[in-house]
Amino acid sequence: MTTHGGFEPVFCTVVPPHVLDKLARNDDPALSGPARRTLMRDSELRGRRRVTTEFGLAAAPTAKAPSDQPLRTIYDAGHTTALPGTKVRAEGSEPGQDATVNRAYAGLGATFDLYLKAYARHSIDGDGLPLDATVHFDEGYNNAFWNGEQMVFGDGDGEIFLDFTIPIDVIGHELTHGVTQYTANLTYYGQPGALNESMSDVFGSLIKQYTLGQTAAEADWLIGAGLLAPGVTGKALRSMKEPGSAYDDDVLGKDPQPGTMDDYVRTGRDNGGVHINSGIPNHAFYLVATALGGHAWEKAGQIWFDVLTGGELSDRALFTDFAKLTVAAAKARYQEGDELQAVSKAWEQVGVRIL
Amino acid sequence: MRIQVRRTGGFAGIERHKEVDTSGRPDAHEWQALAEKAVAAGRVTPPIGVPDGFNYEITLDGRTVYAADPRLTEEQRRLISKVLKEGA
Repeated sequence: MTTHGGFEPVFCTVVPPHVLDKLARNDDPALSGPARRTLMRDSELRGRRRVTTEFGLAAAPTAKAPSDQPLRTIYDAGHTTALPGTKVRAEGSEPGQDATVNRAYAGLGATFDLYLKAYARHSIDGDGLPLDATVHFDEGYNNAFWNGEQMVFGDGDGEIFLDFTIPIDVIGHELTHGVTQYTANLTYYGQPGALNESMSDVFGSLIKQYTLGQTAAEADWLIGAGLLAPGVTGKALRSMKEPGSAYDDDVLGKDPQPGTMDDYVRTGRDNGGVHINSGIPNHAFYLVATALGGHAWEKAGQIWFDVLTGGELSDRALFTDFAKLTVAAAKARYQEGDELQAVSKAWEQVGVRIL
Repeated sequence: MRIQVRRTGGFAGIERHKEVDTSGRPDAHEWQALAEKAVAAGRVTPPIGVPDGFNYEITLDGRTVYAADPRLTEEQRRLISKVLKEGA
């Protein structure tokens, strides 16, 4: 096993365009400012993508090449809900006394590292976007999220959840929401929302595997391992290897994730089941990665990355649209080989038909 | 007065549902004032929140409104956390 040193986190946001439009017109600059900036970045990106696909050109070079080093800032909300909070660690500074701050900093770095080294992507937006994270959000807060501009981590209540900066895949998951926001911008509802969630689980898990130097066979394929408090019956929050098996607990209930379309869950809650049905594309990725063997970020991850960032994936994509693009991406990058076969077979196994 | 809070979504995607019946409670007035302010600022349809943000349904005597992290009013945040902590 090889290791890639310490890890570091990243962030991202996925607010649908119609919501952004509305926010951008809000009288409160705290709401309209970020929305306007996101819309501007979005239109620039779309313009660039259109030029790239329609004229077959490489993406327009930026005025100045982005740095190969991350630009991280960690803030402390001091158990309030004010964002971003007090600045507690800047890029290049030495670790302090707060392990949560240090984990967030390291996790942001690891995420930056995987995207750069494996996929030549400079930060979340591909253009060196600074990475900001706030820790100690609210009191006993059982969650972590990406607000469109930065990552936010709660400490957990200590009874069900521990500190959300503990699993590096959680940090990678949140930052990948940022990558998705700047690329396919998958709408956070229903199937495109479940694909959005799955992108975050896939790359979150790959960041952990990359940091630990694990092969697909060695990886645990769990999301949130180490996050559940000692009294909880479960090993993690989600399992890509065996969706539905991560926990079964008196308080938490049972992991509701399906691994195939036969068990697809129709619901209006959780934005139309985005954290539930993501089990299906998650499992497809696991099947491709383990069929190909070796380091999952190299081939399986490359195919998924090509689809996420390639400009063909619609913000309203369904599972079948995504599956079709992965088949095309496997063919484009690796021709008619094992990769193509592994991808086609994986979707067939999870019951997603490629039309 | 019956106050119900349902929280869905979040990184874990695990649902929580609690309710408080304020009748007969010595602090019923405070609950009622807080709940009415929280509901007044709620939305009629569920907002699409931020990735992994919590979504909330607040029901006050049968009337339901919606809210989502991180854009909660101070009253909504206080009510939600109080009901999820003290409710049954």
